[in-house]
Parts: sequence; C-alpha cells; structure tokens
Amino acid sequence: QLGFQLNSGSSQDIDYGNPKEYKIADINVVGSQFNDKNSLISISGLKVGDKIRIPGDDISMAVRKLWKLGIVGDVKITVTKTEGNEVYLQIELTERPRLSRYFFNGVPKGQRETLSEKVNLIRGRIVTDALVKNARNAIINHYSSKGFKNCQVEITQEKDSLLANGVILHVNIDKKKKVKIHEIQFEGVTQVKEKKLRKKMKKTKEKHFTHLFTPSKFIDEEYRNDKKNIIEYYRSMGFRNATIVADSVYDHNGKMVNVKIKVDEGKKFYYRNITWTGNYKFNDEMLSRVLGVNRGDVYNPQELSKRLNFNPSGADVSSLYMDDGYLFFNVQPIEVLVEDDSIDIEMRMYEGEQATINKIIVNGNTKTSDHVIYRELRTIPGQKFSRTNLIRTQRELAALGYFDPETIEINPVPNFADGTVDIEYNVTERPSDQIELSGGWGGQFGFVGTLGLVFNNFSLRKITDLKAWRPLPAGDGQRLSLRLQANGRRFQTYSFSFTEPWLGGKRPNAFTVSLSRSIQRLIDYRTNRTNGSLKVTGITLGLGRRLKWPDDFFTMNNSVSFLMYNLDNFRTTGFGGYDNGRSYNITFNTTIARNSIDSPTFPRRGSQLSLSVSLTPPYSKFGGKEFGEPTEETKFKWVEYHKWMFDNSWFLPILDKLVLNARMHYGFIGKYTPSREIGPFERFILGGDGLSQNSFLLGTEIVGLRGYENNSILPFESNGTGGVAYGKYVLELRYGVSLNPAATIFVLSFLEAGNNWGSIDEFNPFVVKRSAGVGARVFMPAFGMLGVDWGYGFDNIPGNPSANGAQFHFTIGQQIR
Amino acid sequence: CSKFTRIMKNPDVDERYEAAMEYYDNEDYYKASLLFEDLLPNLVGSAKAEKVQFYYAYCHFNQKQYMLAAHYFKTFYDTYSRSEFAEEALYMQGFSLYKSTPVFNLDQSNTNEAITAIQDFINRFPQSKYVEEAAELIEKLRGSLEKKSYEIAKQYHKLEKYKAAVIAYGNFQRDFPDSHLREEVEFLKIEAQYDLARLSVYKLKEERYQLVKEYYLKFIDRYPSSQYLKKAENYFESSEKGLKNIAAQASVK
Repeated sequence: QLGFQLNSGSSQDIDYGNPKEYKIADINVVGSQFNDKNSLISISGLKVGDKIRIPGDDISMAVRKLWKLGIVGDVKITVTKTEGNEVYLQIELTERPRLSRYFFNGVPKGQRETLSEKVNLIRGRIVTDALVKNARNAIINHYSSKGFKNCQVEITQEKDSLLANGVILHVNIDKKKKVKIHEIQFEGVTQVKEKKLRKKMKKTKEKHFTHLFTPSKFIDEEYRNDKKNIIEYYRSMGFRNATIVADSVYDHNGKMVNVKIKVDEGKKFYYRNITWTGNYKFNDEMLSRVLGVNRGDVYNPQELSKRLNFNPSGADVSSLYMDDGYLFFNVQPIEVLVEDDSIDIEMRMYEGEQATINKIIVNGNTKTSDHVIYRELRTIPGQKFSRTNLIRTQRELAALGYFDPETIEINPVPNFADGTVDIEYNVTERPSDQIELSGGWGGQFGFVGTLGLVFNNFSLRKITDLKAWRPLPAGDGQRLSLRLQANGRRFQTYSFSFTEPWLGGKRPNAFTVSLSRSIQRLIDYRTNRTNGSLKVTGITLGLGRRLKWPDDFFTMNNSVSFLMYNLDNFRTTGFGGYDNGRSYNITFNTTIARNSIDSPTFPRRGSQLSLSVSLTPPYSKFGGKEFGEPTEETKFKWVEYHKWMFDNSWFLPILDKLVLNARMHYGFIGKYTPSREIGPFERFILGGDGLSQNSFLLGTEIVGLRGYENNSILPFESNGTGGVAYGKYVLELRYGVSLNPAATIFVLSFLEAGNNWGSIDEFNPFVVKRSAGVGARVFMPAFGMLGVDWGYGFDNIPGNPSANGAQFHFTIGQQIR
Repeated sequence: CSKFTRIMKNPDVDERYEAAMEYYDNEDYYKASLLFEDLLPNLVGSAKAEKVQFYYAYCHFNQKQYMLAAHYFKTFYDTYSRSEFAEEALYMQGFSLYKSTPVFNLDQSNTNEAITAIQDFINRFPQSKYVEEAAELIEKLRGSLEKKSYEIAKQYHKLEKYKAAVIAYGNFQRDFPDSHLREEVEFLKIEAQYDLARLSVYKLKEERYQLVKEYYLKFIDRYPSSQYLKKAENYFESSEKGLKNIAAQASVK
C-alpha cells in the first residue's frame, strides 16, 4: 500500500485547503531494521533545515523516491509535531524480504539463460506475490509459445542464510510433452476446397510425416493467426461476410489435440458501380483505368486496397499523386450500397497540397560519412515529394552494402505551414568487410592457401588519424582489398587494390589502382633446390564512368596496365628456347558496356553488352635494332598484340518464371605487322566449365563450353597456347524454382556451340562444336552462385577422342562468357 | 581460481565492497565495475549505496563507455539529488554525452541530447564551478552541428544540384543565425543561385537572376567589407547583364 498520512492522531491538524510553509526540525525513521536510516533520509530528498510546504509536492516526491527503490513494502510519512513553523517528520516503513538469488530447476542450462531474460527477476528487489506470479506467467507463456501447452511451473521461497532479509527463489519447471495436432476438421466449407484452407493455416498443421519443415505444434497465438488467415482467404475470394462461428480444441489421447472449425461462408459478392469523389487533378476515367477493377469482378477488399495504396508489381492510384508532391493524398473506398450480391463503391479522395522537399536528414550512420550517403540519395531539396524516389533511394542505400536493408526507415516530416516536407532516413550500420581464409586444391600446384581481406568502406583520408583505426579507418566508401595466395615456395601471389568510387566527389567516376606480384618456382623435390623461377609484377590504373549517352545504362572503363615478367631458367610452352630474361607487357584497355538486366541473380528481362579493346604499343612499327629485328632472345621482350572482345547476353521472359537467355561471344587477337607471328600471350582456350586456371604468364582467356572436357578446344597447331579467334553461342532456357533472395534456385537447359581458330583467315563462325544439356544453379549470399551442368558434346575433337560426349561440369560464381 | 573470482564469490558484502574500492583506486575499472554491479542490488538502502553508484558511473566513464556512464550519472542524480556529488554527477552526465558524440559527418543524434543535458545542468546549477566549461562544451557541440549543415549544403553545390544547394544554404542561415560560417554561406548561396539562374530554361531565368540580386544586396548590407565582396559583385553584375539580355530579347519580340 502506497500513501502518506499527515494527521497522526488528533494532535496535528493539517489544513489541506491552505498549504503552509514549514521548516523541517527533525526526521525520524521507524520500521527499518535492515536499511540504513540516514541513507533512506538522503534518498527521500528531505533534509533537516529545509523549508517545505505541507501539504505539497516535496512529501509525495519523497514517498515516490523511496518506493521506487523497490526495497520497502510500505511507506508512510507523518507529521509527529509542529512547533510554530517547525515541523517534525516521521518516515514509517515496513520491510519485506528481498530477492538474493534464484534457480531454475528441470530445464537444461541453455534454456535457463533464455528464461532469465524473460522473467525479469532483479536481485535486491522485494519479493511480493505479484513478482512471483509474473515470473510464473512469463515462463508459462514462453513455453506455450514453443508448443508446450501443458507446462507446469511451481515457485518456492527459501530464506537466504548468507544475506540478512534475503530470499532465494526456486523455480521448478515441468515442461511436459509438446502438444501436437492429430486432426483438423472443418464444418460448413462448401464453396472453397478444404485443402486450400489447410494450406492457409501456416503454423497450425496436422501431424503428418510430410510436414518436415513445419512440424505439427499447437500454439495458441499461431492458431489465432491462422484463423485470421482463413477468413482473409475467404474475403479475397469475394466472401465478404465469411466468419468462423465456432471452433474448439479438444484432447485426442493426452498427447495430441483435435481442432474443429465451423465456418459460415455467406454469399459471394461482386463489384457493381465504382464512383470517385474529391478528385480534381485526374478524371474518373483515368483513375478507373489505373485501378483496373471492373464491374462484375469478384469483390476483394485486399486487392482493392493494394491497387489504391501500394502495388509492388504495377501501378496504383496513390502513386499517381504521391510521385507528384501530393504527400497528404488519401483515398477511402466506402461501400455505399450492398444489394443482393453486388456492391457499389464510392472512392472518397482527398488530394491536398503539393509538398516540396526542404531538408534531408540522415540518422544512424555511426561509421559511414555523410557525403558517401548524400551523394546516393535520390531525394534532394527543392524537388517535389515523390514516393517512387523514396523507394529508389531505399534501394540505393541498401545497394551500398553498409546498412542493414531490413532496417532502413524513411520518415517524411511535413511542415504544414510552408508546404514543405523534410525527409528523414534512419539507417543502421552493419559490417561490410569480408575476410576470406581458405585452402583448396589448385590444379597443378597442389594445396593452395588463400587469405583475402576486403574492406568495402575504407577511408584513405583518415589514414593518418590513429584514433580512426578500428581496425582500419572507415567511412568514406572506398574499397581496399588484399589477397595472398601461396603454396609454400612453389607458388605465391600477392595482390592489392584500391578503389575510390567517386573520384573528385563530383561524379561517380570510379578510380582503381591495383598492384600484383606472383612468383612461381620450379623445385626439384629430391634435392629441394630451385631450378628456375618466374616473377610477374604488375600495376593497373583504371577509371570507370557511367555514361549519359546513348542512355544511362552505359558505362565506360579505361585502364592502363603494366606487367613485367622475369624469367630465370623457366621452361614453359610456346616460347621456344626463351627461358631467361625479362618481358614487358604494357596495355591500354577500353571497355564500353551496357547493362540493363533487372536482377543480378535471376534476370528476366534486359540485356548485357560489352565491347572491350586492349592495345599494346605497336613496337614492330618503331623499327630500329631494339624493336625492328628481334632475335630469338628479344622476341618476347616487348609483348605486342591487339585484342578485341565482344560479349552479348539477352533475357526474354516467356512465362512468369520461365526465361530465355541468348548469348553470343567473340574474341580476336591481332598483330600490327603482317610479317610477324602472333605471340603466345592472351590467347583463347575453350571447353568445359570455364573455371580452370591456366598459366598466368600467358594471361590465357579460358572460356567454358559445356559438353566438352576442360580446355580441350584449341587449334591443334598452337601447341597448347590457344587460339587467336573464338566464337561461342548459347541458348538457355531457365526456370526459377525459388526466387527467394536468401536462396535463389533455378534449373536450365541449354544448346551451346563454339569454336577456336589458330588464325583470323580460318575463322568461320558457322563451323562450330555443338552441345546440349541441362543444369541447375543455387545462389546464396554467403556462397555466391554454385552450379552443376550435364552436357553432351556432339562433335569430335581431333586428337582428343574422349573430350566430347557426356560431361559433368561444376561452376562457382557467375560467368560472363 | 583467480583472486578476482574468489572475491566475486565472497558472500561478505563488506569485503567485496572494500575490494571493489581497491580495484577502483588501482585504476582497474573493468573489475571494479563488475564488483560494483554485483554489489548495487544488495546495498540499496544502505549508507554505502550512494558511493557505489557514483563510482560505478565513473568506472564506465573511465572505460570510455560514455553512453552508459551518462545513464548512470543521471540515475545517480535522480536518486540522490541532495547528495554532495549531485552537481558533479549532472555535469558528468553532460560531459559523458559530449564525449560520446562522433565527428560532424556522422550521426549527430547524441549531439542534441548532449546540448539539452548540459543546458539543463547550467540552468540547475548556475553558480557551479563547471558552468564555464559547460558553456564551452555547448559551443563545441553547436559547432559540429553547424559544420554538418554547412558541409551538406556544400556537397549539393559540388554535385551541381544548385537548387538544392540554395535551399540548404538557406536552412543553414535560418538554423544558425550567429555562426561564424554565415558570411561564407551567404556568399556561397549567391554563387549557387547565380549558377542555377545561368543554367535555367529561358522561362525561369529572369526570376532566378532577380533572386541573385536580392541575395547580393542582403549580403553587402550585412558584410560591407567581406573578403568575398569582389566575387559577389561579379555575380551581381553578370546577373544584371543577364537580365538586360532578357529585356532586350523581350523588346525585339
């Protein structure tokens, strides 16, 4: 009981209608046996010598403060005596036992921790009946939400011998068996299929061996939801008045229950007249067309609301207004007349004023700098409010990868006075760095260990600020990646790359620097001596731009790269007698690409096009002793070629989840001086999964061709170094089995053809190796795209009789070619 | 069993209290805070509770857990408002919040909270020896809000979103009328408005050039000897020229 009393006995008369100021002469505490009197007075906020009003706030505040401590059962402040304007106060308390410890019995350790969070038992608090009862209810609720409907909880109290006035709680729990459902019976279901209804009950299922992922459990709350789902389903079928008139859950055999649901379906309703009122900006006809609901359609309020307010897969009435500044727009469909099975609807609209964006506020960026976020926002001050831009911005923010896409919140804050709106974006940062630590079988090298670090939100600017190193300076949206790969002394490769996505901060021009170094050693295992080595060092500078012309799907990427090969007694194919010396490969590359596909994992429409040209300086044209007349020794010193690559991929939707993908790929390598040979560098090898690595000295382009063995299609006379012209065509029919972003799965069948030629003269795009087959792909964000294909190659490969026929291929990642 | 776990398990409250104080004096704030946390519920209502709660808050502060420290200093102040440490606790709440605010280009939700808390302290203890420092803290916190608003406006300018820049500079003027950045902001607003007018469709040019003139006149009234005066004059004159051209073309028609 909480309260205070100011008239103690009859000696003190307090006039409640006329508060008076007193000076506190003394404060006395009674009833405290375990608590310190002075500290209680201190907590009460009252002090001898203070002036207080009686009656007044000070006394009630004091009571409240003492009560809030949670250690006393009852507080009362009384006036024992007044002398002139001096007052003597008395704090009267009753002490109750306090909770010193508690134990859960009958459940495993892991569940005890969960329970501790649920029951909210705070040590030091007084133990009351309410506290014990609340704890008990919390535990019962917890277990019944897990299907333990018959859970029993008993709580006993014990005096704590270690702490004066302390009480130990023993919470004894008997979970009992999980309650399952034996049978669900329906009554009164005539116009829809019972099977459909059972399907609509998402969590309440009969016990059946096929329900692997939704095991049968009876949970009150889920059952209530599932009843709502049934009614919702009826409503969506036009049964406006469908209700569950009765339902019961009764025991089956002690372990299981039966569920019986009686439905009154009512009549099926249809739309008759739909009229609009309050619309000035758009006329009735226009609005009706956007709404797309016609006279005679089945009455479905859910669908109607979707078409009015927000339709994720098409137009809706709201977006007409909301994308043009009408932030305050709203529409209410009112059933004005219900006659037999027909319903007349009146759309009551309020258009309101157009709002202009004033301020953009971003909250929650505890790591990422403002400028990195603001440059991606599609809503800017001065624009008319637009819902589409808001949604687009949400997507752009999610695409940055720095924020949790689930928790991006957008709040428009309207200022009615001046017709403007502030837009508030609330984001939560999430880790965006990746660490790759793996070991794998790397073909010719045996075991290869990989350590990769990718920092996607790096800040070069803060690199001198030691406080910002957590573990690396972050927040400027730059990308830093480091990668080490090694297999002891035989093979090592180090690479580093840095990308600034907005060079200069004005336009999204991505600038990239990358450095790499690889070492390959030939080791004699008997003597453990190094017989020869190859060291490759390279640097690449690139600048990528989004183009506005011909349209904004185009990007252009220019790069310059310099590679230095250092051969020390290193024998390899294609070089004749050349195994000592240095080679230099300087290239300039331009890639123009257009990408308009609608989804990266399972595209349904759009296309990808890319044309890339790589050029080395035409040394042979320079003449002179160095370049003009190469000897066997200097032939490979200055690598010379020009290389053209063309890739094209189209996606056409046939049915909802059935997509046709057509691809065409070409590549050519040429020489500047007709009399020269084309070098062994950068050539093409076709066949197989397109994954396997080849000599990085040669930079060979590996292109897959299913139905043939890996790396099997190359001109016979090239001696293993590859062709100089290739063509490849693919027709793929894909069917999306699951388009859930957490695990996208699709199956495919394909027709493929391609060939690889040793010279431009032999190139004939119609003489190809053909194959056909089927496959499947699974995409999971943590693993990327994984796939398996079975293909059958129809054409023989000269000199390699086993290369065609039936072949299995495994793929990792998404392949361009 | 380490010494610390033995102390944690010691049922004697007073011994644990002594040990916690010793850890605190030896600047082992982590262990001290574990002990204090454990002691608090047992000591409520006793004479030691006040000291424990105050030290507990300081443990968080010294471990740089400023948000938690602010919370516990506030709890202390609310519970023991008559304590001799109450004033210090309220100041420390504000100071902890100040410490928890990040640089200007990150989320500033804490900054507003810190300003409110410190202002609250100044209002309650106007005679305090901390008032001067508190006022300085508020100044610094406001400075970072100003800087944020200024940088956002400048980014719109840099991205060539001139209309957005003009609005954002305007918001800055309204939100921080006495900022030291105001002179520059007013000048930049003229610049952005001029570029907006220059690149406008013909129909909107006149109205937008007029605004350049208007902003310029306000600017020279306020800062007659500004370092940006010369550049501002240029924009003014170019706008005049632009307006004349428009008038000339209109008369031809």
